[in-house]
Amino acid sequence: MLKKLLYPSSVAVIGASPKPGSVGYVVLENLLSRFKGAVYPVNPKYDEVELWGRKVKFFKSVLDVQEPVDVAVIATPAPTVPKVLDEAGRKGVAAAIVLSGGFAEAGNAALEEQVVAVARQYGIKVLGPNCIGLFNAFADFDTVFLSSERAGRPPRGPLALISQSGAVTAAIMDWAARRGLGLGIVVSYGNEAGVTVTELVEAVTDDSNVRVVTLYLEGFRYPGEARKLLEVARKVAARKPIIAYKAGRGRTAQRAVKSHVAAMAGSYDMYRGLFSQAGIIEASSVREMFDMAKALAMQPIPRGSRVLVVTDSGGLAIQAVDVLEELGLEIPELPESIARELKRELLPFATVSNPVDLTGSATDEHYKIVLDALLPTAFFDMALVITLVQVPGLTHNLADYITAARRYGKPIAVVNFGGSEFVIKFERALEDNGIPVYPTPERAAKALWALYRYGEVRRKIAIAEAAAA
Amino acid sequence: MTHQIVARAVADGRSKLREDEALALLRAYGIPVPDFTIAESEEGAVKAADQIGYPVAVKVISPQIVHKTDVGGVVLNVADAQGVREAFRRLLEGVKTKAPYADVEGVLVQKMVPRGVELIIGAVYDEIFGHLIAFGLGGIYTELLRDFTMRVAPIDEHDAWEMVREVRAYRLLTGFRGMPPRDIDAIVDVLIKFSRLVTENPEIREADLNPVIALEEGRGAYVVDARFILRPS
Repeated sequence: MLKKLLYPSSVAVIGASPKPGSVGYVVLENLLSRFKGAVYPVNPKYDEVELWGRKVKFFKSVLDVQEPVDVAVIATPAPTVPKVLDEAGRKGVAAAIVLSGGFAEAGNAALEEQVVAVARQYGIKVLGPNCIGLFNAFADFDTVFLSSERAGRPPRGPLALISQSGAVTAAIMDWAARRGLGLGIVVSYGNEAGVTVTELVEAVTDDSNVRVVTLYLEGFRYPGEARKLLEVARKVAARKPIIAYKAGRGRTAQRAVKSHVAAMAGSYDMYRGLFSQAGIIEASSVREMFDMAKALAMQPIPRGSRVLVVTDSGGLAIQAVDVLEELGLEIPELPESIARELKRELLPFATVSNPVDLTGSATDEHYKIVLDALLPTAFFDMALVITLVQVPGLTHNLADYITAARRYGKPIAVVNFGGSEFVIKFERALEDNGIPVYPTPERAAKALWALYRYGEVRRKIAIAEAAAA
Repeated sequence: MTHQIVARAVADGRSKLREDEALALLRAYGIPVPDFTIAESEEGAVKAADQIGYPVAVKVISPQIVHKTDVGGVVLNVADAQGVREAFRRLLEGVKTKAPYADVEGVLVQKMVPRGVELIIGAVYDEIFGHLIAFGLGGIYTELLRDFTMRVAPIDEHDAWEMVREVRAYRLLTGFRGMPPRDIDAIVDVLIKFSRLVTENPEIREADLNPVIALEEGRGAYVVDARFILRPS
């Protein structure tokens, strides 16, 4: 349904401008410099302007464009939007992205209703208004009106973000770009007058370029929205994980109520219940959402909740165990027979239990021995590997050994931190080969928990589907 | 869809179900409630208690009283006819001094349920979410400890099990510190039936089943007190 919005072959920029710094200028520059499809600048004030070393032709109206237009990006002042959207409708656009603000969010609900009415009349899918639009690295389609020097654009990759807040969206994009995090599709939906968050979740999970969907949510706007998202998420969560962060967690419950339940129930409790029911994994911060997303994009789903912890630092292992247990994951003891073998091969002062503590005298080989002896067995479902590579016995070969353990088909998360060139190269070697690395045991544990939780979601959906069949 | 008990209350312009109506509504949906009768006189109360069998609870019925315990409107563990007479008088006296504005319509005589783990099951209507079902630790500490979880109605069996396992009070149900394990299947059953009740009666704005008493494994779970707030028509 939203294919043309996400992957248009032609775009009109209504309100395009040759004035540097304006919204219409940034959008036009982004599209003309990278987008492979046709771009039609629309602004009655200009005919032909020399821009970026070429002659750019402006159209008086979108109706003057001869060729078909898939998407109209609208950046004109709010009061003019119903009129230009009407022209876009007559032109036959499939979708419109209304970047302009000054609608319901500014108290102009009536103006927003006009936009909705025009959209309905022509069957236009309207994203926004009051949004920063859409970024699709796979289509080089970018309507984000912030310059890329200030808000970086992330590389192509399997993560998608659907976000209610424009400013937060831009900040996340910039942050992801600096870390090389593959956030391939980003949609900010603003006032949600047309395209709903549920439609976006459905469209983005359908996209074969996307492996994990993240959702930044402030609050629903329409009655019935919660139920709709629940129904759609329940269907699509079997195919792709959805992670949500709900901002605004105040527990202000309904006032003037007569029952205990109504007095206790804040809106955040309602969202939490919905997420859990819908199979949406809840993150407690934006950072945690992407920690989880990274693991879900890179790693397989564990069969159960049993974690093997391997470490060269006893202290960090204790922290890992604390968090894993708090999250309801298990850290089972090593089977006696394998432990006896391991004792022969590891250092005499290594601790051969779970966590396996190889100590600061650990070598690459020690990690390899432990992973090969334990991960392929039926006793463990996943591994949390702590590698403080600052110790003398470890080299970059360790990254190869850990990567090689992927063949056991069980999730692995690595804890490593530091700032030296050596450490950074080590981390990059792991992440380039699909092993997620986290700077603290808590973050790695939470990422493993997300994998486990998603496995539970999948099992729950499978049972429900089998029962319905 | 709407049950006649709810329909009648709405038609009368009432925003709350009477105690006996609330219990009858639950019973109509297959949710276990202890035997009960309404009595308007002292003699009627004794007759009702004799029929139900002792011990009984005697509770005041008044449209103006929302929290009965706050005005001394409940007498528990009444063992015999003499006790019922005393309870009846005490309730009327108590209400007269603590809630002089209240019209007393009678008393509810209810079979006492043995001690068990006190839970709360409830519902709330939200403009965006529609009806939600809540489950948590019941009794007098409910609002203090806030140990509860919610789901969008209707819920299925899987949702109900998740709700029960999610709250901290779950440990009380599985046999905490030598206490016997409780009838969790019965609680899940109440949750699902209550979800159906709420979904089929969209006029319900708020509802509390508090306490729901979970007895030992195999003995069931009973709703002892219920409150339904209706949407004004």
